[in-house]
Amino acid sequence: MAYSELIKNFERIRDYMREFYIYGFKSRNEYTAKSARSYDNERRRIESWLGDFMLFKQNSAGKNVFLSVDSRQIPHNPLYKAFKAKSFTNKDITLHFYILDILDNKDNLSLQEIVEAINDQYLSKFSTPFSIDESTIRKKLKEYESLGILYCEKKGREVFYKRTDYKHIDIKSWADALSFYSEDNPLGVIGSFLLDKLDSYSDVFRFKHHYMLHALDSDILCQLLIAISEQRSVELDLKGIRTGRKYKRNICPLKIYISTQSGRQYVLGYHYHSSHMLFFRLDAIKNITIGNTDNKYSLYIENQKKFDKHLWGVSAGIGRSLDHIEMTIHIEKGESFIFQRLNREKRHGRVEYIDEHTCKFTADVYDATEMLPWLRTFIGRIYDLKCSNKTVIETFYDDINKMIDMYGGENNAF
Amino acid sequence: MLFSEIYGSYFNVVASILKEALNNSLTDNKITQLVHEKAFAESVISIPTSLKNNDWLLFDDDFKPVIKHSPTMPLTTLQKRWLKSLLLDPRIMLFEPDFTGLEDVTPLYNTDTFVYFDQYTDGDPYTDENYIKCFKEILKAIKEKRKLKIYFNSRTGAEHSITCIPYRLEYSAKDDKFRLLATDNRHINVVNLVRIHSFELLDEYDTNSFKLPQKHLKELVMLLHNERNALERVLLHFSHFEKETLKIDENTYEIKLLYDKDDETELLIRVLSFGPVLKVKSPIEFVDLIKERINKQKSLQVIQKQKNH
Repeated sequence: MAYSELIKNFERIRDYMREFYIYGFKSRNEYTAKSARSYDNERRRIESWLGDFMLFKQNSAGKNVFLSVDSRQIPHNPLYKAFKAKSFTNKDITLHFYILDILDNKDNLSLQEIVEAINDQYLSKFSTPFSIDESTIRKKLKEYESLGILYCEKKGREVFYKRTDYKHIDIKSWADALSFYSEDNPLGVIGSFLLDKLDSYSDVFRFKHHYMLHALDSDILCQLLIAISEQRSVELDLKGIRTGRKYKRNICPLKIYISTQSGRQYVLGYHYHSSHMLFFRLDAIKNITIGNTDNKYSLYIENQKKFDKHLWGVSAGIGRSLDHIEMTIHIEKGESFIFQRLNREKRHGRVEYIDEHTCKFTADVYDATEMLPWLRTFIGRIYDLKCSNKTVIETFYDDINKMIDMYGGENNAF
Repeated sequence: MLFSEIYGSYFNVVASILKEALNNSLTDNKITQLVHEKAFAESVISIPTSLKNNDWLLFDDDFKPVIKHSPTMPLTTLQKRWLKSLLLDPRIMLFEPDFTGLEDVTPLYNTDTFVYFDQYTDGDPYTDENYIKCFKEILKAIKEKRKLKIYFNSRTGAEHSITCIPYRLEYSAKDDKFRLLATDNRHINVVNLVRIHSFELLDEYDTNSFKLPQKHLKELVMLLHNERNALERVLLHFSHFEKETLKIDENTYEIKLLYDKDDETELLIRVLSFGPVLKVKSPIEFVDLIKERINKQKSLQVIQKQKNH
C-alpha cells in the first residue's frame, strides 16, 4: 500500500511517538518491535506532523531521531497532531461536506431526500458520472447521528435528519478558556479540536511543569471517563511497561489519578477477581471494552474515599498495612518557608514545630517507600528519620552514603 | 472515538479552502498557505492533488465548489460534554464563557473524577472576587497590548509596584498557580498573581519596538545509572525540558537539559529526589550546591548519632 502521512491505526504511532519523545537515544537498528520499513514510515509521518520539534543525531550506532521541546515555551501541545491525522476514504470526505451542506438550510430531510439531493444537486455537476449508493449514505448519517452532529427523528416509517446546531453555542466566547484548558485539561485534545474551529485566538498562556505525553493516551482516558460517568465496568487489554507482557483485567473504574510531577496517569478501579482496589497506568492500556453498569458503584466509591486517606501515591504496599513515618527537619534562622513547604507538599499526615529550629512531619501511609523521592528533597535538613518500614530507612541512608561517595568520597559510583 | 477524521487537519483545511472558494478569493497560493497553516508538511502535495483530480468530489470541472454554504460542523456530543465539564471547574470563573446551548448536556466527568495526588495544596483562590478581577484585567491588558501598573506584595510582605508590559500568564499544575510574566524592557518580572492586589490599566505600547524577552538558559549535564527503573522515571520527570539523552553503556546514560537559572533551587531538589541514580557533571556551581546539601545532611546525621550515644 502506498505511503500516506495519514494513519488508520493510532496504536502503533503511539508507541513510536513515546519512544522518540521520552527516550530519544535509540538508533533505527534498536527499534526491533516492527520491521525497518515500518520504522521508516512511522518516522517519516511523525516528521511530517512535528518537523519543527524533531532532531537528529549521528553517532557510531547510527542516526538517532528524537523529539525535543521546552514545553514552557510553546502555547500548544504538538502531540495532539497525531489525533488529527486519521485516514479516510474519498467518499467519507465527499459525503461529509455534502450532507452538512444539504442540511444547512435547517430543514428536516428524509434519507430519500438526502440521497436525491446528493445525486441531483452535487454529483450532477461533474461531466464524468459518479454515484454513491444509498446504503453508504445511510451508514454515514447513522455515524453522524451517533457522534451528535445530526439529530434523527422518526415520523411514521420515515427517518428525518437535521443538524444539531439549531441550538447555537457561541464557541468564540470560549476562546480564552479553550486556549487554557486545551493544555491544562487531561482531555485537552478536545479543546484543541475546538480551537481549530476558530479563525484566531489569543496566545496568552504558557505552562510550567507541563507534561505533554499524556496526550497520546487521550482516547483511553476518554473511554474511561465515559465508563465512569455511566458507572460501567470495563475490560482492559494491558501490556506491561517493563515486561511487555500482555494481559487482561476486568474492573469497575472509579477515579483517574494524575501526577503533576511526572505526568503519569492511572485509573483506580475495583478489580472483580481480587476484590481489591487496583491502579493501572493509562499508557499500559492498549484497548478498552466498556461493559455493563455496576449497581455497586456507590459502595466502591465509599471504599475509594477510605482507601485514599492513606495513599501517598498510587501504591497500597504489601498487605495493605500502614507504615508509620516521622521526619524531623532542622530549620535555620530565616527559613520558615521550609515549614510552609512541608505543609503544602504533604499529602497526608501533620507538621508541627518542636522548637524554634525543628519541626516534625508525621504520617501513616500504605507504602512509605513511595515517599523516598519526596524525603530526598529535604536532604541537608533531615535531622532524624524514623519509619516502621525498615526498608525506607535503610534505602534512604544507603543512598545518602552513595551520594557522599559520588560527590567526593573515595568510591566513585560511576 | 477521539481518533476520527471529522476532527482531522485534512477536513479542517478543506473546509477553509471551500470557504475561500465560496468567497471567490481562492488562488493556488492561498491553498498552499492554508495547507501550510492547518495541516502537515507533506499535505501540501496530497491535498491540492486530491481536490484537483476529483478524488474528493468537492470542486467541479471548472474548479468551482459544488457546495452552496460556507462549511461549518455542529459540535459533537463529546465536545459538548467536555465543555459542560469545564463549567464545573472553579477556574472557569476567570473566563466566563457563554454556556447557552449546553443546558441539557451531561458533563463528561465531574471535577472529583480526577485526583491530582501530588499537587501542592496552596493553590490560587479562584473564587476570590479580587483575584478574578485582577486575572481578567491582566488578560485584557495582554490581549490589547497595553501597559500595566501593578501593586503587589513580595514574599516577605513588602509592598511593591511596577509599570510593565505584561506578555504572558503562566500556569503550573504542580503549584496550581498562575504567574504574570511581564517586562519593564530591562528585566523579566515574574509575579504570582495571588500577590497582586491592585492595578492600573495604562495606554497601549508600541508593538513594533517590543521584543519578547528571552530567558537565560543554562545546560545541566547528568549521568544516569539505570537501576530501580530510573531511566523511565527520570526521563518522564524531566520530559518537559528541552533535552537530549545519550546512551554511554548498557546501564549509563548522559542527559543534557536546558533550564532557567531562576529555577535552579527547584531543579536542585528535583535532582536530589532521584538520589544516587543521578550524578550531576556540570555546571560546577550546580555540583557545588548538591555537595553543600549532602555535607549538611552528613553533619546533621553526625549530630544525631552523637545525641543518641
